[in-house]
Amino acid sequence: MRVIGRRLLLYVVTAWVAITVNFVIPRLMPGNPIQTMIGKLTNQVTPQEIQAIRSAFGVGLSQNWWTQYWHYLGQLVHGNLGVSITLSTPVTTVLGSAIPWTVGLIGIATLVSFVLGTVSGALLGWTRGSHLDNLIPVATFFQAVPYFFLGTVAFLVFSNHLGWFPGQGAYSLSLTPGLHWSYIASVIRYGELPAFTIILSSIAGWMLGMRNMMITTVGEDYVLMAVAKGLPRRRVIWHAARNAVLPSIANLSLAIGLVVSGALLVELVFNYPGVGDLLFHAVANEDYPLIQGIFLVITLCVLAANFLADLVYFALDPRTRTPAVV
Amino acid sequence: MNVLEVRDFSVEYGLEEAAVHAVRHVDLDVPRSSVLGIAGESGSGKSTLVYGFTRLLRWPGVVAGGSAVLRVLDEDGTESEFDLLAASERELRSIRWSEISIVLQSALSALNPVRRIAKEFDEVLRVHSSGLDRSARRARAVELLDMVGLDEDRLDRFPHELSGGQRQRIMIALALALDPQLVIMDEPTTALDVVTQREIVDQLFELRQRLGFAMIFITHDLSLLVELANEIVVMYAGEIVERASAEEIYAAPRHPYTLGLINSFPPMHGERCELVGLPGAPSDLAHLPTGCSFHPRCAWAMEVCKTASPKAQPVGDTGRLVACWLHDGIHEVPVELRRSVPQRQPL
Amino acid sequence: MKRLRLPRSPKVLVGLVIEFCFLILTVIGPWVAPYNPSYNGFLQNLPPSSKHWLGTTALGEDIFSQLLNGARATIVVAVVAGLVATLIAVVVGVSAGYLGGRADDGLSMLSNVFLAIPGLPLLIVLDSYLPQADRSNSLILGLVIALTGWAWGARVLRAQTMSLRNRDFVEASRIIGESRTRIMAVEIAPNLLPILASSLLFTILYSIGAYVTLAYIGLTSTSVWNWGTMMFWAQANNAPLVNQWWWFVPPGVCIALVGAGLALINFGIDEFINPRLREAGLTSKVLRRSGLSRQVRLGVTPVLRATSSPRRISRALQAGAQR
Repeated sequence: MRVIGRRLLLYVVTAWVAITVNFVIPRLMPGNPIQTMIGKLTNQVTPQEIQAIRSAFGVGLSQNWWTQYWHYLGQLVHGNLGVSITLSTPVTTVLGSAIPWTVGLIGIATLVSFVLGTVSGALLGWTRGSHLDNLIPVATFFQAVPYFFLGTVAFLVFSNHLGWFPGQGAYSLSLTPGLHWSYIASVIRYGELPAFTIILSSIAGWMLGMRNMMITTVGEDYVLMAVAKGLPRRRVIWHAARNAVLPSIANLSLAIGLVVSGALLVELVFNYPGVGDLLFHAVANEDYPLIQGIFLVITLCVLAANFLADLVYFALDPRTRTPAVV
Repeated sequence: MNVLEVRDFSVEYGLEEAAVHAVRHVDLDVPRSSVLGIAGESGSGKSTLVYGFTRLLRWPGVVAGGSAVLRVLDEDGTESEFDLLAASERELRSIRWSEISIVLQSALSALNPVRRIAKEFDEVLRVHSSGLDRSARRARAVELLDMVGLDEDRLDRFPHELSGGQRQRIMIALALALDPQLVIMDEPTTALDVVTQREIVDQLFELRQRLGFAMIFITHDLSLLVELANEIVVMYAGEIVERASAEEIYAAPRHPYTLGLINSFPPMHGERCELVGLPGAPSDLAHLPTGCSFHPRCAWAMEVCKTASPKAQPVGDTGRLVACWLHDGIHEVPVELRRSVPQRQPL
Repeated sequence: MKRLRLPRSPKVLVGLVIEFCFLILTVIGPWVAPYNPSYNGFLQNLPPSSKHWLGTTALGEDIFSQLLNGARATIVVAVVAGLVATLIAVVVGVSAGYLGGRADDGLSMLSNVFLAIPGLPLLIVLDSYLPQADRSNSLILGLVIALTGWAWGARVLRAQTMSLRNRDFVEASRIIGESRTRIMAVEIAPNLLPILASSLLFTILYSIGAYVTLAYIGLTSTSVWNWGTMMFWAQANNAPLVNQWWWFVPPGVCIALVGAGLALINFGIDEFINPRLREAGLTSKVLRRSGLSRQVRLGVTPVLRATSSPRRISRALQAGAQR
């Protein structure tokens, strides 16, 4: 349990760092850009919301930084992330409609990519010198391709040219959202190409990592034992893979960060109404409250996913739970 | 009657030009219920030999020639031959563990770290003896642990929670789970302290008396083999240099290398003597010397040793084999290499 | 000191050749380009021709010249960022690994925090606050990118240092009385070189991606030509929708090639670090020549030649084999 406690502490500290970065950065920049922005706000924004922005960014406040900091933290606790300057709506509202799309897309794509990548990596590591080995340079190449480039090419070839997939957006605009089959089918249809792009870009990492670890694991004595025992081939591969997959899960934190970053770009290419799309428009319009809000939410989600991965790792590896005798 | 016959067996690492000859033209017989010891330094090829004929050798190891036949005795007493080199993967699986089992050197790395001990037993019993149900399998596991002197509660532990000696006993119990005809032990006591070593060897001795399986015991420590083995084979640079009964090897070695090995482990009793050991280092298998592989380190090397490689020849009338030019009948045999076996007093 | 072995693996050689070509391009690119990349007097949206090998943009600039010029900024920033990030990683990682105790706890916490925060969003936040003027400064951009990319290398180096610290030769130096800094610099550092090289390449790979992404979003100055900016303009002018592939595909392919080259070299370093990964003459050609089946699996050691003997398999064994 101590180990879980340490990981939790790490995530809490990281969240705190992210929050503090959000607080400190605007105050470090010369000629506070927020000042001019507040002037651009429309009348739909309440005075409290303006006040919230002011305190979040330290504009025109007389208190010292410490007091501002506590105010800022207090607001965060209340779920107040400020107001989007370009959209004149609270950041939380804007995010609320975008997050489900991103979580759905990234979640499913990452799961598929992880499973496919680890399974193929395990098989590659088990059999040497087979045709499958040719997959490695191919996968390496795709790993080096930037997500947005792959997305653009995929869009060009599969959507524009071949017309196999629909183009932009999350669902057909002729439909109204709701829990009926035509809508859900449309959502799935529109999500296929973005998901495919994410999977293609990220699968190489899982595959190569698993392959290398599998080769190392197959070199271990207990795998030789399993073979010497006369176990069926599938069982032996399972024994090896079950141990070889552990580092992949441990590396999930880095992987999730990269996949999320890439997925955001894919959203941009396909005009998918998720958090990525939102972020990039916010950047183009210098909508700082929105940028920071998105950064915070993304970070917290990634940390949560990391924590889940850690729990899975602890469940799979008993060495973390019981102390060694020798 | 032999349980295992190996003839002219060779193993190489790597293919074509890069090939290293790790085992060269080895002949081996293991009679039923007997113990064969294989002794030699690291790099002598003793483990490679055994993994080679059981087809467990890792890439880039390949079998380069010879034959290896397992003689299996059925319940009804009929004997049949099993060609280990021609067998398919499926055929190999049918005899693995049920007829041949293996005990590896380091039990810590040989046991799956994320599984409890009970699962290891359960799995091997389930795969091979489909007739047993869960409780029967558990009972058998308890029985096996008891045979090696361990309590039932060890079954529910993970490997890293047990001591080295306990782990090794579990490996032995596991190896005997299906009542195999041949058990191969690859340096099973090397990683243990001397006291535990003693216990394990005694345990093995007793188990073999009781159950009657044949055993191949690989080690670099000849002294362990003296009590345990019926016959000992000494290997150097992939070849057999001497083969004789345990007594003969220990008391009356004929090959200079065997003498060197024995002298490396001084006896606990008797007069104090100067430690001689073996000068030099084991040959690099990729660059073997011409003629006899041992001649650079041999105190009695002659001209012929540098050019011609000696074949294993019978020496004396007890059926022992020695591969050394000193015993070709022409040259004078040094005093150290012509001791005679002390006669045992009749009771 | 280990002997330096020339890499024999074809993967590594291909990677090295690719990187070498691009390195040359970085240096001579602007000189070799046929036109000024920013000159916009040509006819717009021309397809590839002998005058304009990659056609022209929607603003009338020559794409091929942009591509050649773009190599320099892209690669220079990536290399700078990679070097700075690796430097930080070495300082943090090796110190944490060697010093242990409270220092290790603190430094590990620092690296883990930076590892957990997703890179791109952090990069965006930091970069969006940069004044416009600084965005054209390669050095500053490189620093910002390095700030988000050092943590992985630090963790890897820390693990390696910790395993080296417990090795005998380091222990011996300590007993003799060498100072801590000297031990770190003279005993430990040389043994870290392979992992360090791998980490450096990986970080440069990451930096290229980060820089190009920033450019694609529009967070870098548009006055400096790089491959990401080219794709930014292509996207802004709807090049994909109108099938103007010659505008955005070449820069993307260049990025991918540079990245793939680095990954291939990394492969070689991986095999050097972990000998089990080496193929040991295992190509399908060699296997086929030796008469072995295509695949080599554990538990079925290949038999090149054997003296066959007649075999009678008992009924029980035959039944067992059918299972």
